[in-house]
Amino acid sequence: MIEIFVRSIFIDNMIFAYFLGMCSYLAVSKNVKTSFGLGVAVTFVLVVTVPVNYLIDNYLLKKGALSWLSASLGGLDMSFLSLIVFIAVVAAIVQLLEMVIEKYAPALYNSLGIFLPLIAVNCAILGASLFMQERNFPNVAHALAYASGSGIGWLLAIVAFAAIRERLRYSQIPKPLQGLGISCIITGLMGLGFMAFLGM
Amino acid sequence: MNIKKYLGPLSKDNPILVQVLGVCSALAVTAQLKPAIVMAISVTAVAALGNLIISLLRNTIPPRIRIIVQLIIVAALVILTDQILQAWFYDISKMLSVFVGLIITNCILMGRIEAFALGNKPIPSFFDGLFNGLGYGLVLAVVGFVRELLASGSVWNHKIIPDSFYAHGYMNNGLVSLPPMALILIGLLVWIQRSGSKTEKI
Amino acid sequence: MKNFSNKYIFIYITVLVIIVAVLLALASITLQPRQNENRKIESYTQILMAAGYSGNEISGRSVIKTYQQVADSVLTDNNLLVIKVKTEDGSHNYIIPLRGKGLWGPVWGYIAVAADGNTIAGAVFAHKGETPGLGAEIANPQFSDEFKGKQLFDENGEFVSIRVVKGGVANSNINPLHGVDAITGGTVTSNGVDKMLKDCLGRYKEFLKKLRQ
Repeated sequence: MIEIFVRSIFIDNMIFAYFLGMCSYLAVSKNVKTSFGLGVAVTFVLVVTVPVNYLIDNYLLKKGALSWLSASLGGLDMSFLSLIVFIAVVAAIVQLLEMVIEKYAPALYNSLGIFLPLIAVNCAILGASLFMQERNFPNVAHALAYASGSGIGWLLAIVAFAAIRERLRYSQIPKPLQGLGISCIITGLMGLGFMAFLGM
Repeated sequence: MNIKKYLGPLSKDNPILVQVLGVCSALAVTAQLKPAIVMAISVTAVAALGNLIISLLRNTIPPRIRIIVQLIIVAALVILTDQILQAWFYDISKMLSVFVGLIITNCILMGRIEAFALGNKPIPSFFDGLFNGLGYGLVLAVVGFVRELLASGSVWNHKIIPDSFYAHGYMNNGLVSLPPMALILIGLLVWIQRSGSKTEKI
Repeated sequence: MKNFSNKYIFIYITVLVIIVAVLLALASITLQPRQNENRKIESYTQILMAAGYSGNEISGRSVIKTYQQVADSVLTDNNLLVIKVKTEDGSHNYIIPLRGKGLWGPVWGYIAVAADGNTIAGAVFAHKGETPGLGAEIANPQFSDEFKGKQLFDENGEFVSIRVVKGGVANSNINPLHGVDAITGGTVTSNGVDKMLKDCLGRYKEFLKKLRQ
């Protein structure tokens, strides 16, 4: 389980290995503070949604998942619906979190709140749920370890990238390469750096 | 109908290179040309049909729930695509694995629906989706082509680089098949594309 | 934009969801047989590949016909499944199915044991979601070809399985007849394959011993 946690931070990193969540990654990484906020929000939402989706997948949708209800429903395979259910769950949970945080932790809401709506369409969130489904984790704790690892990995990536980008302002880059071009190349180079963890 | 208006996404308005949309989900499938093309076709089909359907429904959709309606329609189209791929292109669907599902979160789809289909007639919306999908597919195909060529010396599983090259010490570059190289290639593509056209930097 | 009443919104979304659900269920049901057939083709292809078949005989749908001609499922004394396949040169291979766990999910494969019950004639491995370029390399022929000619029993007739050795067989004290090199950077997957070979083949020990005599 620790293995899954560590690997999903460094090696199967959402951004460097699967390019998930690139849109907000490129858009919000202008400075370290906001990117840290977004990173925390992503981790938070991942930790909530992945286990919930895990339970839904295993007790409602998968082939034979309904057998706890009655034996006759055991043969039902509704996994083709999983995609639509996952995305609905993500959207609903994000909405719910936003309301809960706003009510009970206004300070947190002020720093985190603006990012929450962005997250519903962040590929990293849905991606983690789909990977969770594909990888067949044996229990919900593994799913949780995977979710928190992926979230922290994403946070790490965006903060590190934002830090580089702050410096970048003072460097001389050929005009056509500025902005998106150099961002992609830097992310690629960072990814190559992260591959050093492969030997673990 | 002014066809020129729709051709923008292929180059000067390319969704990936200029609008920074949809870089997310699909780069991971560009290690080879074949899955990249299949992915491109899937995205194009979903984008065009999604735009068409939403545009047809645009006057009946209550604005308060329009995001949910869009999500449901796109998700349904994606699931359909996934099922079809599994039935007729089993090998490739295995290669694409979860990334077919991730078409849903591809910002191009929701972006075009929000920006275009909700306010335009069905036929133009269809073409808007089609060409945005194609512009996106073009980038995927180029990246897939370069990566497969450099990483294995072949394209579409056909050997391209002659054996005589290898005899003189040419080596396949396995590095290119690793994910970070896809990003670096995109960066280079952006560079080339922006040197040609004078777009504002983002 | 017009204003819509809550009732309209409610009915609208319900109708939409029902239509979508029905359409998807229909699509899923109609496409299911074809998808299942694809899965069958995949496992048949892997079995025949392990037995050394290649090219046209196992491409696409013709694999089903070939499989029915040359392969035969038999049960061992302790009720385990073995697939007896007639190879192209007329001898028989015994294909043993393998099931195990990699880093991210299931890994599986088929290993072909020659008629002497000892020598490996071929192997095929597959996985569900191992990391591309690393653990996923077990599906690469370069890895599975290493198994050809390896032996399951040592000179004393003891069952030793085939070890997947991290850091390379050459640098270890394992006899090169009983070991293959692990995948660099795919340690967990390699260990999974190692354990899978030991567990699955171990269950067939008696069957293989009988075959040897």
